Amino acid sequence: MTLNLRTKKIYPTGYFIKYLYKMLTLWTRIVQASFIFLATESIGVLLDPCGHISPESPVVQLGSNFTAVCVLKEKCMDNFDVNADNIFWKTNHATVPKEQYTIINRTASSVSFTDISSLNTQLTCNIYAFGQIEQNVYGITIISGLPPEKPKNLGCIVNEEKNMMCQWDPGRKTYLETNYTLKSEWATEKFADCKAKRDTPNSCTLDYSPVYFVNIEVWVEAENALGKITSDHINFDPIDKVKPNPPHNLSVRNSEELSSILKLAWINPSIKTFIGLKYNIQYRTKDASTWSQIPPEDTSSTRSSFTVQDLKPFTEYVFRIRCMKNDGKGFWSDWSEEASGITYEAKPSKEPSFWYKIEPSHTHGYRPVKLIWKTLPPFEANGKILDYEVTLTRWKSHFQNYRVNDTKLTVNLTNDRYIATLTARNLVGRSDASVLTIPACDFQAAHPVTNLKAFPKDNKLWVEWTASNESVNKYILEWCVLSDKSPCIPDWQQEDGTIHLTYLRGNLMESKCYLITVTPVYDDGPGSPESIRAYLKQAAPSKGPTVRTKKVGKNEAVLEWDQLPVDVQNGFIRNYTILYKTALGNETAVNVNSSHTEYTLSSLTSDTLYMVRMAAYTDEGGMYGPDFTFTTPKFAQGEIEAIVVPVCLGFLLTTLLGVLFCFNKRDLIKKHIWPNVPDPSKSHIAQWSPHTPPRHNFNSKDQMYSDGNFTDVSVVEIEVNDKKPLPEDLKSTDLFKKEKSSTEGHSSGIGGSSCMSSSRPSISSSDENESGQNTSSTVQYSTVVHSGYRHQVPSVQVFSRSESTQPLLDSEERPEDLQLVDNVDSGDGILPRQQYFKQNCSQPETSQDISHFERPKHVSSVSEEGFVRLKQQQISDHISQSYGSGQMKMFQEISTADDFGPGTEGEVERFETVGMETAIDEGMPKSYLPQTVRQGGYVPQ
Amino acid sequence: MKVLAAGILSLLLVLHWKHGAGSPLPITPDNATCTTRHPCPSNLMTQIRNQLLQLNSSASALFIAYYTAQGEPFPSNVDKLCGPNVTDFPTFHADGTEKDKLVDLYRIIAYLGASLGNITRDQKALNPKDQNLHSKLSSTADTMRGLLSNVLCRLCNKYHVSHVDVSYGPDTSGKDVFQKKKLGCQLLGKYKQVIAELVQAF
Repeated sequence: MTLNLRTKKIYPTGYFIKYLYKMLTLWTRIVQASFIFLATESIGVLLDPCGHISPESPVVQLGSNFTAVCVLKEKCMDNFDVNADNIFWKTNHATVPKEQYTIINRTASSVSFTDISSLNTQLTCNIYAFGQIEQNVYGITIISGLPPEKPKNLGCIVNEEKNMMCQWDPGRKTYLETNYTLKSEWATEKFADCKAKRDTPNSCTLDYSPVYFVNIEVWVEAENALGKITSDHINFDPIDKVKPNPPHNLSVRNSEELSSILKLAWINPSIKTFIGLKYNIQYRTKDASTWSQIPPEDTSSTRSSFTVQDLKPFTEYVFRIRCMKNDGKGFWSDWSEEASGITYEAKPSKEPSFWYKIEPSHTHGYRPVKLIWKTLPPFEANGKILDYEVTLTRWKSHFQNYRVNDTKLTVNLTNDRYIATLTARNLVGRSDASVLTIPACDFQAAHPVTNLKAFPKDNKLWVEWTASNESVNKYILEWCVLSDKSPCIPDWQQEDGTIHLTYLRGNLMESKCYLITVTPVYDDGPGSPESIRAYLKQAAPSKGPTVRTKKVGKNEAVLEWDQLPVDVQNGFIRNYTILYKTALGNETAVNVNSSHTEYTLSSLTSDTLYMVRMAAYTDEGGMYGPDFTFTTPKFAQGEIEAIVVPVCLGFLLTTLLGVLFCFNKRDLIKKHIWPNVPDPSKSHIAQWSPHTPPRHNFNSKDQMYSDGNFTDVSVVEIEVNDKKPLPEDLKSTDLFKKEKSSTEGHSSGIGGSSCMSSSRPSISSSDENESGQNTSSTVQYSTVVHSGYRHQVPSVQVFSRSESTQPLLDSEERPEDLQLVDNVDSGDGILPRQQYFKQNCSQPETSQDISHFERPKHVSSVSEEGFVRLKQQQISDHISQSYGSGQMKMFQEISTADDFGPGTEGEVERFETVGMETAIDEGMPKSYLPQTVRQGGYVPQ
Repeated sequence: MKVLAAGILSLLLVLHWKHGAGSPLPITPDNATCTTRHPCPSNLMTQIRNQLLQLNSSASALFIAYYTAQGEPFPSNVDKLCGPNVTDFPTFHADGTEKDKLVDLYRIIAYLGASLGNITRDQKALNPKDQNLHSKLSSTADTMRGLLSNVLCRLCNKYHVSHVDVSYGPDTSGKDVFQKKKLGCQLLGKYKQVIAELVQAF
């Protein structure tokens, strides 16, 4: 622990220290030493320090060198067993390097510092008592600073009857306590010093007024611990440095004779008794902010009054005055207190602005006319306006006079032309007359101004126009605020006929739309008015437009909006900006001309939510309206219809075609789906032999098949022992008959039709012709017992004939239907064929003549369908083998007969008729097998 | 006896003149070297004339302020009570040289200055609240000190005169109040009269 004891502190003696040194260990010595020091102090024993530092209170200049010497006392040296070698120095508790020490002798050590830079430095001299305990011996404070600089720019001002104040520039900061003393003297004596205050080291004020006309010499002396310096001396007569007191009791008085002058009077300061004065006189109108000044040359001598000229009548002016020594030496006094006065009245210098309005309500023969005029401004009224005089002249000799205090007058005038005059009167006189022509009712206004413009400038709304070629007496400018909420209440002003540019002198507001109308006034009445809109200052709209969709398509949307109300426009809408985006997409901006109220967004994505917002922009900015969202549809309008309708139409058409087709093919369909089944109960089997003539006479058949072409005969082999066909077999035979033969009860033709199918249309045609004639009510069922072929001997040669008289089913009784069914049957009908053959297998009495009729079909069927072939082989192997060549021959003959044969004309016609209704290749087996045989196509062997 | 009286008056003047407002005329032997603290200005005579004008311009106001402040019967009997009947008032020879006039001026101003000191002292006691009078007395005394300095500077620098015998008026300290007022009023009356002559002389 180090106790930093400064100069004149009390230091402990060595007795207690010695005792403690013996008793305590080394680490406790520091604390104990402090304790002893405190104990020593507490008992009030004044003890001498162990040494001292010289110099005691040094003040050194910043940047200079400094050396201090510490001298120890012999007594301490003995008690603490120290000498000068044990001295060490500290500055601000930091040990000074030993290189800066100098041991002068056994008791004295010095320390040297170069270039002192710190302002206040604590320097202590210390020792190690008993070689180890750090002990402070003495301490001093080194104060650093700078000597004062020479004060410059010394100047004094003498305040009349008060004091004299001198100022100077003290120079750099010294960091030391520096005294500035203002010294003054006459040639014969010296005055008391004036010491500057510490907070104002650059001035000093003598508390008495110096004597004038005696030169006084003044200078400033600056002094601190590092030096003293004196400023240059200034010698002056205090009268040349005087600042007089301002003139007082300034008064203003007007003149009734002259309305353009005011008389000023004042009392000069007392100094004017022995010096000359000059003045500054300034004036302004009451409401003005800037002063005008009387020319200095007019006020360069001592005076106590002045008359100001060229003032405006009946105007209040404010004056002030100041003075100084007239030779220009010294200072201007302060301004006097202001005084005001009003010039006297003069007659109004200008006629009032005069205009009229015709009231809307008309009575018969009269029209209410409201005459309006403006009060004259003070600079034109030149006094207090007492009243206005209005004169209305209808004819040259007819006068109407009105004296009005107000600024309007409503009179009922006839529809004739009137001349109105207006004069304003004050205390001194009356103004010139303002003349206005009120035209007759039938007057047609013309000659409007052209190139009307309105623009803001210098916070005023200027209006400019081009006059017409006519001589204009004056212009009337009217304006009002356009608003959707309030009516247009016009204000107006009048301009001379020579004016083409002026500004509106009303209390205009920013962001309001003004409708400005300029009306030229001619000798014979007002001209046509011209209007324009303008803003004093535009701003961004208060609200943005509200956008909505007018129409939304798959890839486009038509947006529409309303024009902003004029109250929220705040300026001319220059353009709109439409911003739209999808939920995740970038925003797209579109600028739209302000004249538009709708816009079509194109290239949109279908089935997408779009967010749209819209801003309206004036010259000063824009404002967005509320956001709007819409969703584009997935399909365009009519797209669904375009798909659905054709599909439906197609479906309907297809259906219709199908129906028509089915209708056309109904017989065929019927044949396949519900074929006519002959009623077996109405059939009979007749014994038949080749030589037995048929029960029915088929002449035509005979003719048709006279060539005996039918050699191929379907044969149903019936077992010999089975003489009685089963009813089921008969039914099957009927079914077969439905499929393959004409339904005229000729069940025997069924098997043939199956074979003919589509390969021989010519045959079918022949069949049809034939079938048209085969309408006998008897169906002959025949059973051919297979006999041999070509030298093969059949095992059983039995020929049987079925002569069933059973009527056919309903359809069978209609030849047309039957024909259709036969035609449809031509190409298909596997199952019926199966049934047929199956039936053949079980019905030995089925006719063979059918087989020969439809031979080609049968062949085709055999070659195509195994099953059929199998059955057929089982049934008619022998037949095929026996009559193969014959079949071909018969086929060819049939074809020939069909194409070139000598068919009757009636037969041909039937063929054509049928052919129109049915497929040409659908051979209709209209003949009975026996008939076929009879015609020569089949001869049982 | 005169010399003794003059010495006493000089002492009074020294004691009662306001600090810094001037100093009594130094009495220097003829052969003493005349020096000033700094050179005199070149327009010294103009300053002297202006000082006389300044004194003359305020003398009447001071006179009025004085007798007005003294109360009746002085304002109504100014001629009787305030006549310029001052004995031993230094004479002024207007037709003399500049040096002679300056010497005469010096004597007169020294006389008036001493008397003004007595009056100021008496009025502070008799009319302590009359600041107007006190201010005028003080201002006049200051101006007289300045005039003395200028005259001395002129005599010393130009004419090398370092000693001028001066005389002072009667001491009023032992007189009654009315006599003090009357003597003061008579002196200011005399001052008003003399200063006007001096203005004309310079």
